[in-house]
Amino acid sequence: MHLINYTHRNTFPVTRFGGRLGAQDIESELGYLFSSALGNLAPSILGGQFPVDLYEDKDNTYVRAELPGVSRDAISVEMVEGSLSIQASRKDKSADGEGTVSFNRLVSIPDEVQSDKVTASYENGILTVTLPRKEESKPKKINVAVN
Amino acid sequence: MSFFNSITPAAPTALSTAEAEALPSRRPSYEVAETDGGYTLVINLPGVSKEGLEITDEGGELRVLGKRSNKLPGGVVVLHRESSEAPFELVLEHDNTVDPSKTEAELKDGVLSLKLSKAESAKPRKIAVT
Repeated sequence: MHLINYTHRNTFPVTRFGGRLGAQDIESELGYLFSSALGNLAPSILGGQFPVDLYEDKDNTYVRAELPGVSRDAISVEMVEGSLSIQASRKDKSADGEGTVSFNRLVSIPDEVQSDKVTASYENGILTVTLPRKEESKPKKINVAVN
Repeated sequence: MSFFNSITPAAPTALSTAEAEALPSRRPSYEVAETDGGYTLVINLPGVSKEGLEITDEGGELRVLGKRSNKLPGGVVVLHRESSEAPFELVLEHDNTVDPSKTEAELKDGVLSLKLSKAESAKPRKIAVT
């Protein structure tokens, strides 16, 4: 009877540097590369995280999100403790049947905003949220008298 | 800054329309499904309006080009940017199994749905034995 010295294979996709790689190692490395490539691809098809822009002018802060194919009543925008929460869901019909993809993102807003005056518009699959800044957080000119 | 401009005169401070068009195009995410009479193609094109969309089907090659109208308004300070202004471009080959004259397209909320009909010659045909 043979005793096989069994060692657990490293289950973490750790890229090792130095040393020679055996054929099996190369296979697992390739497998990892493929799975990580697919891992990057999958969210863009299924939804997952969506790209967000944050910009401001002198009165407002704006958050813009790419959310193609979402119906307006499936979008919810909320201010929660200095962050803007964007939630949306999209119904997808495919050959395998219907499925719902959920989108969720929390964007931290640098300035204090008037939460009750936040407005949002949705056009061509892009959501734009306008957040009017509070008076005190707007840049102010202060005159200093020099004696 | 002027030194930088002198060695890289092309460094843009703001993208003009011509420069945005010169950006390399991006492949959009899409799904293809086969139906009885043809194929349905769903392409995500956020920020593309009807005017910026160009669909051609020539020589067995379907080409979808979507120019994006998501430019940031002038005079704003960008704090964080993840979106791109590069146009979307998708080229798919179908070996003339599709009849381009029967293609239907619908653009809604940044999603383009294309219905491609199979060409009569590509449909399965039952041949009666006499």
